[in-house]
Amino acid sequence: MTRKSFPFLATGGELKELEQPSYYAGYSTMAQKKSWEEATRKAVIDRVEKPPTIRFFSQEEAVLLGAVIDRVMPQDDRAEGRTIPILPILDERLYKNSLNGFRYEDMPPDQEAYRLAAKAIEEMAHERFGETFLARTVNRQELILKSLHDGKPEPNHAVWQKMPVHRFWAMLMEDCVTAYYSHPWAWDEIGFGGPAYPRGYMRLENGLPEPWEKDEQHYEWNAPVDSLSQLEEEGIPPERGSLHGHGGSH
Amino acid sequence: MSHRLGSMQTLPSPMRRFKESDTVDYCIVGVGSAGGVLVQRLARAGFRVVGLEAGPFWDTEKDWVSDEKGSHDLYWNDLRITGGTHPLALGANNSGKGVGGGSVHWAAFAPRFHPSDFRVYSEDGVGVDWPISYWDLKPYYELLEREIPIAGPAWFPWGDPHGHPYGPHPLGGVGDVLVRGCTDLGIRSVAGGPVAILSASHGDRPHCIYRGFCLQGCKVGAKASTLITHVPDALTHGAEIRPHSMAAKISLREDGRVDGVLYIDREGQEHFQRARAVIVSGYAIETPRLLLNSACPGHRHGVANSSGTLGKYLMAQAGNVVAGRFEELIRLYKAPPAHALTEEFYETDPRRGFARGFAVQTVGPLPIAFAKQMAAAMGAWGWGMRRVMMDYNHWATLGVLGEILPWEDNRVELADEKDQHGLPVAKVTFNLHDNDKKLIEFGKNKVMEIMWAAGAKQVVQESRFAHLVGAARMGSDPSTSVVDKFGRTHDIPNLFACDGSILPTQGSANPGLTIQALAARTADYLIKQAGAIFYSNHRDMSEPEIRYDLSPPYTRFKGKPRIA
Repeated sequence: MTRKSFPFLATGGELKELEQPSYYAGYSTMAQKKSWEEATRKAVIDRVEKPPTIRFFSQEEAVLLGAVIDRVMPQDDRAEGRTIPILPILDERLYKNSLNGFRYEDMPPDQEAYRLAAKAIEEMAHERFGETFLARTVNRQELILKSLHDGKPEPNHAVWQKMPVHRFWAMLMEDCVTAYYSHPWAWDEIGFGGPAYPRGYMRLENGLPEPWEKDEQHYEWNAPVDSLSQLEEEGIPPERGSLHGHGGSH
Repeated sequence: MSHRLGSMQTLPSPMRRFKESDTVDYCIVGVGSAGGVLVQRLARAGFRVVGLEAGPFWDTEKDWVSDEKGSHDLYWNDLRITGGTHPLALGANNSGKGVGGGSVHWAAFAPRFHPSDFRVYSEDGVGVDWPISYWDLKPYYELLEREIPIAGPAWFPWGDPHGHPYGPHPLGGVGDVLVRGCTDLGIRSVAGGPVAILSASHGDRPHCIYRGFCLQGCKVGAKASTLITHVPDALTHGAEIRPHSMAAKISLREDGRVDGVLYIDREGQEHFQRARAVIVSGYAIETPRLLLNSACPGHRHGVANSSGTLGKYLMAQAGNVVAGRFEELIRLYKAPPAHALTEEFYETDPRRGFARGFAVQTVGPLPIAFAKQMAAAMGAWGWGMRRVMMDYNHWATLGVLGEILPWEDNRVELADEKDQHGLPVAKVTFNLHDNDKKLIEFGKNKVMEIMWAAGAKQVVQESRFAHLVGAARMGSDPSTSVVDKFGRTHDIPNLFACDGSILPTQGSANPGLTIQALAARTADYLIKQAGAIFYSNHRDMSEPEIRYDLSPPYTRFKGKPRIA
């Protein structure tokens, strides 16, 4: 799915393609699957081996949103065959109408929100650059998306008059990180322990690894230096509360 | 294979089945934190009891996974509409569906409310006083702390100081950050509890294995939910729990008494359960929604709503999450998310310029939840998201748990949209008021200060809310409240509400323990007053005696707190 970011190469230096980006070299959650119980093992293995097919989005929408997701959750540093499916997980959620338990009163249903946004993003690309979003350079795609991230769509589009752009962005981010960080290859990337029943943990303090975990080995961050989606150290977003689902905290 | 409840228990079988035509004594709508305790007590006392539960009857070994995304079905995911100036996120944040309800996925912090929480109007001139005092509830706190049971420090210094029946848990990386930061600033803290998680094995339940998946349903069976603490005993004593049964309407007779509950099964078939009395335990959204959806001639604005307060005074707690990045590794996914706290800022301090206060507690978001927090707190996306997540193991997270006052305009109403059963869904409106905003600002800054003091190199925060209570509040005055001090609706003699919705105010304590303690007290009333409730409109307001003989096995008089 991921389109390799060729425009970065001219300005951002070479992007190393890695089988497994991670500060925890040699760490593999899937290698621990024998220590998981059956229901979890099946759920995680199915996630890796059987990504759902696209059933909700049209071919056109799928291609456009695939390109959007490639910038929102870029995987250009991951080797072919080692990228994590995101669009199929989103598509499945919308197809099955699997809600997160609520809808903001000023938002349309999730399905309609994605359809409206896909149309708006494509039309914004045409208006701003006279070309389809897909044909744009990564930099120009990022310009469009960053304007949504910032809550100031550029160019503005009628869709964002009736659908608050910051709420759509929060939903898009939620869907993207849910798909990405539920995948065992992402757990390997960040050094998360993954499923832990029935074995559990014994080294709770001081960030110590379990015997099957690895020590951290920092290396220079492998990402394009000129991307607009780098963290802005100074630019903490305006306080408007958070808009995604709040499960998983307290 | 038998129906498993945690890694050691199995469901007692076979479960009693009442006939469609049977009239039961008590029908309980919603088998969650309160409903589980009610069903167990009433069955043990010999009543004919049915619990209707909208969700499934979990087999924890088959249905639950040690996985964040795979645990989506534990929550109330059906459509609700949310709005107001500070709309609440619902679903996974604050409601469960299935036997055990929200207690299946709570983090299991189990502090008591403080004595001052019951009289905030008298002491601070805000909110409203409860119709009972802390001292009325204290024996039930002590009882439930043994039945659940609670692990925690031998000395809990805030509110009414007390100990805990099970010893504290070992400290994880996030708890260490809280203790370090607080100590540096001269703030008292406790660690290892109070939590409803076993630090040693207990009867047919094993101790905690520190895997950190508390919010995904504890497959181990170490974290308490009524599914494993009270429901098995209820079935042993002849209760029936009917899963996949969505209550649609409370049925009223012409004489103004309830005669049963209309509900819909998973195939969409309607059924009617006759009962001598009904207790609604659907939590702060579904309880008012069901009563509003039950409107009928004579009760045009909903059942038990002569006061006009049904659905109003809904509360959520301020739940800002402060995240700090440390040079050293933390690995926040290990140990229970809930395991250290301070209540040093709980009470009103006039110098702060607002009424009431907040607690500071550990939280332990797994990767998906943490990534969402980084999207909100830092605006992370694209390569920025990938990069911040590469440092997941360097972050620690602490939560504000702050008291938001009860306001009339924070409410549950019916929306135009319908759910899969054709029932109008809830519309939830939430606005912050001046006192709430000041409290949140102060609490957020205090927790950030603690995080810096612990040695964080970077500190960010996300504004959010936790828990839900109110919307069918209890009170002595029928014109300003929905139920009396025992949970009985002012309007209908054999209709009760018993769950978080009846709380008049919420303090800065996680509500789970208080909800269960109130349920045990209401159960004692239902047992003692059964004759009057079933056959008359007489309302006896005397306190029932506490029934120590109705505890589940292994818990009676066991594990006496060392300091009481």
